[in-house]
Amino acid sequence: MTTTRQHIIEISFPSEFGYEVIAREAIATFARCVGFDRDRIDDLKTAVSEACINAIEHGNKKVHGLTIDIVGVYDGNMLQIDIADQGIQQYQVAGAPATIEEKIAGKAPARGMGLLLMTQLADEAHFLPDTNGTRGNRFRLIWRERVETLEPEH
Amino acid sequence: MSNEETAGSKPSEKVIELRLPSRLGYERVAMDAASSLARRMGFEGDRIAALKTAVSEAVTNAIEHGNQHNETMKVVVLLTVRDDELIVSVTDQGSKSIDEAYVSRVPNISEAMQKDDKGGWGIWLIRELMDEVEFTKAPGGGNQVRMVIHLER
Amino acid sequence: MLEDELTVSIRINEKVAIIDLIGDVTTFAEEKINNAYQEVTKAGAQHILLNFRQNDYINSAGIAILIGIVTEVNRHNQKLAFSGLSQHFQKIFRMVGLAQYADIYQDDQEALEAINNAAAA
Repeated sequence: MTTTRQHIIEISFPSEFGYEVIAREAIATFARCVGFDRDRIDDLKTAVSEACINAIEHGNKKVHGLTIDIVGVYDGNMLQIDIADQGIQQYQVAGAPATIEEKIAGKAPARGMGLLLMTQLADEAHFLPDTNGTRGNRFRLIWRERVETLEPEH
Repeated sequence: MSNEETAGSKPSEKVIELRLPSRLGYERVAMDAASSLARRMGFEGDRIAALKTAVSEAVTNAIEHGNQHNETMKVVVLLTVRDDELIVSVTDQGSKSIDEAYVSRVPNISEAMQKDDKGGWGIWLIRELMDEVEFTKAPGGGNQVRMVIHLER
Repeated sequence: MLEDELTVSIRINEKVAIIDLIGDVTTFAEEKINNAYQEVTKAGAQHILLNFRQNDYINSAGIAILIGIVTEVNRHNQKLAFSGLSQHFQKIFRMVGLAQYADIYQDDQEALEAINNAAAA
Protein backbone atom coordinates (compact mmCIF):
# COMPACT_ATOMS: atom_id res chain seq x y z
CA MET A 1 0.00 0.00 0.00
CA THR A 2 1.33 3.45 -0.96
CA THR A 3 -0.30 6.41 0.73
CA THR A 4 -0.09 10.07 -0.24
CA ARG A 5 -0.72 13.26 1.64
CA GLN A 6 -2.56 14.87 -1.23
CA HIS A 7 -5.69 13.34 -2.63
CA ILE A 8 -6.46 14.56 -6.12
CA ILE A 9 -9.63 14.03 -8.06
CA GLU A 10 -10.12 15.21 -11.63
CA ILE A 11 -13.40 15.59 -13.43
CA SER A 12 -13.99 16.55 -17.03
CA PHE A 13 -17.52 17.04 -18.37
CA PRO A 14 -19.35 18.46 -21.43
CA SER A 15 -19.71 22.24 -21.36
CA GLU A 16 -23.51 22.18 -21.37
CA PHE A 17 -26.05 23.18 -18.76
CA GLY A 18 -27.25 20.14 -16.85
CA TYR A 19 -23.90 18.34 -16.75
CA GLU A 20 -22.61 20.57 -13.94
CA VAL A 21 -24.96 18.57 -11.72
CA ILE A 22 -22.83 15.47 -12.15
CA ALA A 23 -19.60 17.30 -11.33
CA ARG A 24 -21.25 18.89 -8.33
CA GLU A 25 -22.37 15.47 -7.09
CA ALA A 26 -18.90 13.99 -7.57
CA ILE A 27 -17.18 16.86 -5.74
CA ALA A 28 -19.74 16.68 -2.92
CA THR A 29 -19.01 12.98 -2.44
CA PHE A 30 -15.26 13.70 -2.50
CA ALA A 31 -15.78 16.28 0.25
CA ARG A 32 -17.89 13.80 2.23
CA CYS A 33 -15.11 11.20 1.88
CA VAL A 34 -12.56 13.62 3.35
CA GLY A 35 -14.85 14.42 6.27
CA PHE A 36 -16.69 17.62 5.44
CA ASP A 37 -19.96 18.12 7.30
CA ARG A 38 -23.37 18.50 5.72
CA ASP A 39 -23.55 22.31 5.89
CA ARG A 40 -20.19 22.82 4.24
CA ILE A 41 -21.03 20.26 1.58
CA ASP A 42 -24.21 22.21 0.79
CA ASP A 43 -22.14 25.40 0.48
CA LEU A 44 -19.63 23.61 -1.68
CA LYS A 45 -22.30 22.18 -3.98
CA THR A 46 -23.78 25.60 -4.62
CA ALA A 47 -20.40 27.29 -5.11
CA VAL A 48 -19.09 24.58 -7.44
CA SER A 49 -22.20 24.64 -9.61
CA GLU A 50 -22.03 28.45 -9.83
CA ALA A 51 -18.40 28.25 -10.95
CA CYS A 52 -19.35 25.60 -13.51
CA ILE A 53 -22.27 27.51 -14.99
CA ASN A 54 -20.11 30.65 -15.27
CA ALA A 55 -17.48 28.59 -17.07
CA ILE A 56 -20.09 27.08 -19.42
CA GLU A 57 -21.94 30.32 -20.08
CA HIS A 58 -19.19 32.95 -20.07
CA GLY A 59 -15.84 31.17 -20.41
CA ASN A 60 -16.92 28.71 -23.09
CA LYS A 61 -19.82 30.87 -24.31
CA LYS A 62 -21.93 27.70 -24.61
CA VAL A 63 -19.89 26.57 -27.62
CA HIS A 64 -20.80 22.99 -28.42
CA GLY A 65 -18.23 20.23 -27.94
CA LEU A 66 -16.09 21.95 -25.31
CA THR A 67 -15.40 20.67 -21.82
CA ILE A 68 -15.07 21.96 -18.30
CA ASP A 69 -12.23 20.54 -16.23
CA ILE A 70 -12.20 20.39 -12.47
CA VAL A 71 -9.32 19.46 -10.21
CA GLY A 72 -10.05 18.90 -6.53
CA VAL A 73 -7.17 18.58 -4.08
CA TYR A 74 -7.44 17.68 -0.40
CA ASP A 75 -4.24 17.80 1.66
CA GLY A 76 -5.52 17.37 5.19
CA ASN A 77 -5.72 21.13 5.80
CA MET A 78 -7.85 22.38 2.97
CA LEU A 79 -9.95 21.41 0.02
CA GLN A 80 -9.07 23.33 -3.12
CA ILE A 81 -11.20 23.13 -6.24
CA ASP A 82 -10.12 24.63 -9.57
CA ILE A 83 -12.66 24.99 -12.34
CA ALA A 84 -11.24 25.61 -15.81
CA ASP A 85 -12.92 26.41 -19.09
CA GLN A 86 -11.37 26.65 -22.55
CA GLY A 87 -11.36 30.41 -22.72
CA ILE A 88 -13.56 31.30 -25.67
CA GLN A 89 -13.97 34.51 -23.71
CA GLN A 90 -12.03 36.07 -20.85
CA TYR A 91 -14.76 37.01 -18.46
CA GLN A 92 -13.13 38.13 -15.20
CA VAL A 93 -15.58 40.59 -13.79
CA ALA A 94 -14.53 43.81 -12.16
CA GLY A 95 -16.48 45.97 -9.75
CA ALA A 96 -19.24 45.19 -7.32
CA PRO A 97 -22.15 43.05 -8.46
CA ALA A 98 -25.52 44.73 -8.92
CA THR A 99 -27.77 44.81 -5.88
CA ILE A 100 -31.05 42.94 -5.68
CA GLU A 101 -32.89 46.28 -5.57
CA GLU A 102 -31.38 47.20 -8.95
CA LYS A 103 -32.26 43.78 -10.34
CA ILE A 104 -35.87 43.90 -9.18
CA ALA A 105 -36.28 47.45 -10.46
CA GLY A 106 -35.12 46.17 -13.84
CA LYS A 107 -31.99 48.37 -13.79
CA ALA A 108 -29.63 45.40 -13.82
CA PRO A 109 -29.90 41.93 -15.30
CA ALA A 110 -31.51 39.39 -12.99
CA ARG A 111 -28.57 37.06 -13.58
CA GLY A 112 -25.11 37.55 -12.08
CA MET A 113 -25.53 36.32 -8.52
CA GLY A 114 -22.97 33.57 -8.93
CA LEU A 115 -19.83 35.42 -7.93
CA LEU A 116 -21.50 36.91 -4.87
CA LEU A 117 -22.62 33.46 -3.74
CA MET A 118 -19.21 31.88 -4.31
CA THR A 119 -17.45 34.62 -2.39
CA GLN A 120 -19.77 34.19 0.57
CA LEU A 121 -19.88 30.39 0.60
CA ALA A 122 -16.19 29.54 0.19
CA ASP A 123 -13.25 30.61 2.35
CA GLU A 124 -11.55 31.83 -0.82
CA ALA A 125 -13.00 32.39 -4.28
CA HIS A 126 -11.04 34.04 -7.06
CA PHE A 127 -9.78 33.75 -10.60
CA LEU A 128 -6.27 32.41 -11.12
CA PRO A 129 -3.80 34.40 -13.18
CA ASP A 130 -2.99 32.90 -16.55
CA THR A 131 0.38 31.44 -15.65
CA ASN A 132 0.37 28.13 -17.44
CA GLY A 133 -0.12 29.46 -20.94
CA THR A 134 -3.66 28.18 -21.36
CA ARG A 135 -6.24 30.52 -22.78
CA GLY A 136 -8.89 29.33 -20.40
CA ASN A 137 -10.25 31.02 -17.32
CA ARG A 138 -9.50 29.21 -14.09
CA PHE A 139 -11.49 29.85 -10.96
CA ARG A 140 -10.36 28.62 -7.55
CA LEU A 141 -12.50 27.79 -4.53
CA ILE A 142 -10.94 26.93 -1.19
CA TRP A 143 -12.39 25.59 2.04
CA ARG A 144 -10.02 25.31 5.00
CA GLU A 145 -10.27 22.81 7.80
CA ARG A 146 -11.76 24.49 10.84
CA VAL A 147 -9.58 24.22 13.90
CA GLU A 148 -11.70 23.45 16.94
CA THR A 149 -10.94 26.04 19.58
CA LEU A 150 -11.02 24.45 23.00
CA GLU A 151 -12.57 26.21 25.95
CA PRO A 152 -9.85 27.11 28.46
CA GLU A 153 -9.92 24.82 31.46
CA HIS A 154 -10.86 26.26 34.80
CA MET B 1 -11.47 18.52 -25.25
CA SER B 2 -8.62 18.12 -27.75
CA ASN B 3 -9.13 16.83 -31.28
CA GLU B 4 -7.39 13.66 -30.32
CA GLU B 5 -9.92 12.99 -27.59
CA THR B 6 -12.97 13.88 -29.67
CA ALA B 7 -11.87 11.68 -32.55
CA GLY B 8 -13.34 8.53 -31.07
CA SER B 9 -16.69 9.85 -29.90
CA LYS B 10 -19.82 10.27 -31.96
CA PRO B 11 -21.59 13.63 -31.99
CA SER B 12 -24.54 12.14 -30.12
CA GLU B 13 -22.33 11.02 -27.23
CA LYS B 14 -21.45 12.96 -24.13
CA VAL B 15 -18.53 11.86 -22.00
CA ILE B 16 -17.81 12.59 -18.37
CA GLU B 17 -14.38 11.58 -17.11
CA LEU B 18 -13.41 11.00 -13.49
CA ARG B 19 -9.86 10.33 -12.34
CA LEU B 20 -9.76 9.01 -8.79
CA PRO B 21 -6.97 8.19 -6.34
CA SER B 22 -6.57 4.47 -5.63
CA ARG B 23 -7.90 4.65 -2.11
CA LEU B 24 -10.91 2.71 -0.89
CA GLY B 25 -13.80 5.05 -0.24
CA TYR B 26 -13.36 7.08 -3.39
CA GLU B 27 -15.40 4.53 -5.35
CA ARG B 28 -18.32 6.45 -3.84
CA VAL B 29 -17.44 9.42 -6.05
CA ALA B 30 -17.95 7.29 -9.15
CA MET B 31 -21.10 5.66 -7.73
CA ASP B 32 -22.73 9.02 -6.98
CA ALA B 33 -21.72 10.57 -10.30
CA ALA B 34 -23.04 7.55 -12.22
CA SER B 35 -26.29 7.42 -10.27
CA SER B 36 -26.91 11.14 -10.64
CA LEU B 37 -26.29 10.86 -14.37
CA ALA B 38 -28.50 7.78 -14.74
CA ARG B 39 -31.33 9.42 -12.83
CA ARG B 40 -31.25 12.38 -15.17
CA MET B 41 -31.13 10.10 -18.19
CA GLY B 42 -34.41 8.60 -16.99
CA PHE B 43 -33.34 5.25 -15.51
CA GLU B 44 -35.64 3.69 -12.90
CA GLY B 45 -34.64 3.33 -9.26
CA ASP B 46 -33.84 -0.39 -9.33
CA ARG B 47 -31.67 0.00 -12.42
CA ILE B 48 -29.81 2.86 -10.75
CA ALA B 49 -29.23 0.72 -7.68
CA ALA B 50 -27.85 -2.04 -9.91
CA LEU B 51 -25.59 0.46 -11.68
CA LYS B 52 -24.25 1.79 -8.38
CA THR B 53 -23.34 -1.67 -7.18
CA ALA B 54 -21.65 -2.55 -10.49
CA VAL B 55 -19.68 0.71 -10.55
CA SER B 56 -18.65 0.23 -6.95
CA GLU B 57 -17.42 -3.31 -7.62
CA ALA B 58 -15.51 -2.27 -10.73
CA VAL B 59 -13.80 0.67 -9.05
CA THR B 60 -12.91 -1.23 -5.87
CA ASN B 61 -11.47 -4.03 -8.03
CA ALA B 62 -9.34 -1.44 -9.84
CA ILE B 63 -8.16 0.06 -6.53
CA GLU B 64 -7.48 -3.26 -4.79
CA HIS B 65 -6.28 -5.57 -7.53
CA GLY B 66 -5.24 -3.48 -10.53
CA ASN B 67 -3.54 -0.63 -8.68
CA GLN B 68 -2.75 -2.61 -5.52
CA HIS B 69 -3.88 0.28 -3.25
CA ASN B 70 -1.11 2.51 -4.61
CA GLU B 71 -2.66 5.93 -4.02
CA THR B 72 -0.45 7.60 -6.60
CA MET B 73 -2.08 5.47 -9.28
CA LYS B 74 -5.35 6.59 -10.80
CA VAL B 75 -8.58 4.85 -11.55
CA VAL B 76 -10.15 6.38 -14.64
CA VAL B 77 -13.92 6.19 -14.97
CA LEU B 78 -15.55 7.22 -18.24
CA LEU B 79 -19.29 7.73 -18.27
CA THR B 80 -20.54 7.85 -21.85
CA VAL B 81 -24.10 9.05 -22.32
CA ARG B 82 -25.99 7.94 -25.40
CA ASP B 83 -29.68 8.42 -26.17
CA ASP B 84 -30.51 4.83 -25.29
CA GLU B 85 -27.71 3.66 -23.00
CA LEU B 86 -25.08 4.56 -20.47
CA ILE B 87 -21.60 3.08 -20.88
CA VAL B 88 -19.28 3.00 -17.90
CA SER B 89 -15.66 2.09 -18.41
CA VAL B 90 -13.31 1.66 -15.49
CA THR B 91 -9.58 1.48 -16.13
CA ASP B 92 -6.72 0.95 -13.71
CA GLN B 93 -3.00 1.48 -14.27
CA GLY B 94 -1.98 -1.90 -13.02
CA SER B 95 0.35 -4.26 -14.77
CA LYS B 96 -1.25 -7.24 -13.08
CA SER B 97 -3.83 -8.84 -15.34
CA ILE B 98 -7.04 -10.28 -14.06
CA ASP B 99 -6.97 -14.04 -14.40
CA GLU B 100 -9.18 -15.19 -17.28
CA ALA B 101 -10.68 -17.92 -15.12
CA TYR B 102 -11.52 -15.40 -12.43
CA VAL B 103 -13.40 -13.22 -14.90
CA SER B 104 -15.74 -15.99 -16.01
CA ARG B 105 -16.16 -18.04 -12.84
CA VAL B 106 -19.43 -18.35 -11.00
CA PRO B 107 -18.96 -18.17 -7.25
CA ASN B 108 -20.96 -20.42 -5.00
CA ILE B 109 -22.10 -19.38 -1.56
CA SER B 110 -21.77 -22.77 0.09
CA GLU B 111 -18.22 -23.09 -1.25
CA ALA B 112 -17.41 -19.55 -0.15
CA MET B 113 -18.56 -20.33 3.38
CA GLN B 114 -16.01 -23.14 3.56
CA LYS B 115 -13.11 -20.97 2.40
CA ASP B 116 -11.11 -18.28 4.17
CA ASP B 117 -11.43 -16.00 1.14
CA LYS B 118 -15.09 -15.17 1.00
CA GLY B 119 -14.62 -12.49 -1.65
CA GLY B 120 -14.61 -12.75 -5.39
CA TRP B 121 -18.20 -11.75 -5.96
CA GLY B 122 -17.47 -8.45 -7.65
CA ILE B 123 -17.02 -9.53 -11.25
CA TRP B 124 -19.88 -11.99 -11.03
CA LEU B 125 -22.13 -9.24 -9.66
CA ILE B 126 -21.15 -6.87 -12.46
CA ARG B 127 -22.04 -9.53 -15.02
CA GLU B 128 -25.38 -10.20 -13.35
CA LEU B 129 -26.34 -6.55 -13.01
CA MET B 130 -25.25 -4.93 -16.28
CA ASP B 131 -26.65 -5.55 -19.76
CA GLU B 132 -23.25 -5.87 -21.44
CA VAL B 133 -19.88 -6.43 -19.79
CA GLU B 134 -16.46 -6.70 -21.38
CA PHE B 135 -13.05 -7.14 -19.75
CA THR B 136 -10.15 -5.89 -21.84
CA LYS B 137 -6.65 -4.43 -21.61
CA ALA B 138 -6.46 -0.64 -21.83
CA PRO B 139 -4.09 0.81 -24.45
CA GLY B 140 -1.87 1.97 -21.59
CA GLY B 141 -1.64 -1.55 -20.19
CA GLY B 142 -4.13 -1.45 -17.31
CA ASN B 143 -7.24 -3.53 -16.92
CA GLN B 144 -10.43 -2.15 -18.34
CA VAL B 145 -14.02 -3.06 -17.61
CA ARG B 146 -16.64 -1.76 -20.00
CA MET B 147 -20.22 -2.00 -18.75
CA VAL B 148 -23.36 -1.01 -20.58
CA ILE B 149 -26.82 -0.42 -19.17
CA HIS B 150 -29.69 0.08 -21.62
CA LEU B 151 -32.40 2.63 -21.18
CA GLU B 152 -35.75 0.93 -21.77
CA ARG B 153 -38.47 3.44 -22.42
CA MET C 1 -30.02 14.12 -23.20
CA LEU C 2 -30.38 14.83 -19.52
CA GLU C 3 -33.97 15.13 -18.44
CA ASP C 4 -35.47 18.11 -16.82
CA GLU C 5 -35.75 17.62 -13.09
CA LEU C 6 -38.63 19.93 -12.23
CA THR C 7 -42.36 19.36 -11.88
CA VAL C 8 -44.54 22.44 -11.45
CA SER C 9 -48.17 22.29 -10.35
CA ILE C 10 -50.78 24.66 -8.99
CA ARG C 11 -53.14 24.35 -6.00
CA ILE C 12 -55.54 26.86 -4.48
CA ASN C 13 -56.12 27.09 -0.72
CA GLU C 14 -58.61 29.77 0.33
CA LYS C 15 -56.86 33.01 -0.60
CA VAL C 16 -53.54 31.50 -1.60
CA ALA C 17 -52.41 30.23 -4.98
CA ILE C 18 -49.74 27.64 -4.30
CA ILE C 19 -47.19 26.81 -6.96
CA ASP C 20 -45.47 23.55 -6.05
CA LEU C 21 -41.95 23.27 -7.41
CA ILE C 22 -40.73 19.71 -7.10
CA GLY C 23 -37.12 19.22 -8.16
CA ASP C 24 -34.36 21.43 -9.46
CA VAL C 25 -34.73 25.16 -10.06
CA THR C 26 -32.13 26.00 -12.70
CA THR C 27 -32.02 27.67 -16.08
CA PHE C 28 -34.36 24.95 -17.42
CA ALA C 29 -37.12 25.99 -15.01
CA GLU C 30 -37.86 29.39 -16.53
CA GLU C 31 -40.76 28.55 -18.81
CA LYS C 32 -42.53 26.27 -16.34
CA ILE C 33 -42.32 28.72 -13.44
CA ASN C 34 -43.28 31.75 -15.52
CA ASN C 35 -46.23 29.89 -17.05
CA ALA C 36 -47.49 28.85 -13.63
CA TYR C 37 -47.14 32.41 -12.35
CA GLN C 38 -49.04 33.81 -15.33
CA GLU C 39 -51.79 31.23 -14.91
CA VAL C 40 -52.46 32.09 -11.26
CA THR C 41 -52.16 35.80 -12.00
CA LYS C 42 -54.71 35.56 -14.81
CA ALA C 43 -57.01 33.81 -12.34
CA GLY C 44 -56.67 36.87 -10.07
CA ALA C 45 -54.38 35.49 -7.37
CA GLN C 46 -53.31 38.09 -4.79
CA HIS C 47 -51.28 35.78 -2.55
CA ILE C 48 -48.78 33.47 -4.20
CA LEU C 49 -46.83 30.80 -2.38
CA LEU C 50 -43.89 29.13 -4.08
CA ASN C 51 -43.64 25.81 -2.28
CA PHE C 52 -40.33 24.04 -2.85
CA ARG C 53 -40.06 20.28 -2.49
CA GLN C 54 -37.07 17.99 -3.01
CA ASN C 55 -35.16 21.04 -4.13
CA ASP C 56 -31.67 19.66 -3.97
CA TYR C 57 -30.46 22.07 -6.62
CA ILE C 58 -31.33 25.75 -6.93
CA ASN C 59 -28.68 27.82 -8.71
CA SER C 60 -28.18 31.46 -9.58
CA ALA C 61 -30.00 31.01 -12.88
CA GLY C 62 -32.94 29.71 -10.87
CA ILE C 63 -32.64 32.61 -8.45
CA ALA C 64 -32.73 34.96 -11.46
CA ILE C 65 -36.08 33.42 -12.46
CA LEU C 66 -37.39 34.07 -8.93
CA ILE C 67 -36.14 37.67 -9.06
CA GLY C 68 -38.16 37.99 -12.26
CA ILE C 69 -41.23 36.70 -10.39
CA VAL C 70 -40.64 39.23 -7.58
CA THR C 71 -40.52 42.00 -10.19
CA GLU C 72 -43.87 40.86 -11.64
CA VAL C 73 -45.42 40.39 -8.19
CA ASN C 74 -44.48 43.98 -7.31
CA ARG C 75 -45.91 45.23 -10.60
CA HIS C 76 -49.22 43.46 -9.96
CA ASN C 77 -49.37 44.38 -6.26
CA GLN C 78 -49.43 40.74 -5.26
CA LYS C 79 -47.84 39.16 -2.18
CA LEU C 80 -45.23 36.46 -2.53
CA ALA C 81 -44.05 33.85 -0.03
CA PHE C 82 -41.68 30.88 -0.12
CA SER C 83 -41.95 27.61 1.78
CA GLY C 84 -40.26 24.24 1.94
CA LEU C 85 -36.72 25.51 1.39
CA SER C 86 -33.90 23.61 3.04
CA GLN C 87 -31.81 25.46 5.63
CA HIS C 88 -29.11 25.87 3.01
CA PHE C 89 -31.36 27.50 0.45
CA GLN C 90 -32.99 29.70 3.10
CA LYS C 91 -29.46 30.95 3.74
CA ILE C 92 -28.83 31.45 0.03
CA PHE C 93 -32.11 33.39 -0.37
CA ARG C 94 -31.08 35.64 2.52
CA MET C 95 -27.63 36.13 1.00
CA VAL C 96 -28.93 37.33 -2.34
CA GLY C 97 -31.59 39.46 -0.66
CA LEU C 98 -34.67 37.59 -1.90
CA ALA C 99 -35.83 37.26 1.72
CA GLN C 100 -36.52 41.01 1.79
CA TYR C 101 -39.22 40.61 -0.85
CA ALA C 102 -41.03 37.53 0.32
CA ASP C 103 -41.81 35.85 3.63
CA ILE C 104 -40.08 32.53 4.12
CA TYR C 105 -41.94 29.73 5.93
CA GLN C 106 -40.70 26.30 6.91
CA ASP C 107 -43.48 24.46 5.10
CA ASP C 108 -46.69 25.08 3.17
CA GLN C 109 -48.92 24.40 6.21
CA GLU C 110 -47.25 27.13 8.22
CA ALA C 111 -47.36 29.49 5.25
CA LEU C 112 -51.06 28.89 4.53
CA GLU C 113 -52.11 29.46 8.12
CA ALA C 114 -50.14 32.68 8.36
CA ILE C 115 -51.23 34.09 5.01
CA ASN C 116 -54.91 33.11 5.28
CA ASN C 117 -55.13 34.46 8.86
CA ALA C 118 -53.51 37.75 7.84
CA ALA C 119 -55.76 38.04 4.79
CA ALA C 120 -58.87 37.39 6.90
CA ALA C 121 -57.86 39.93 9.56
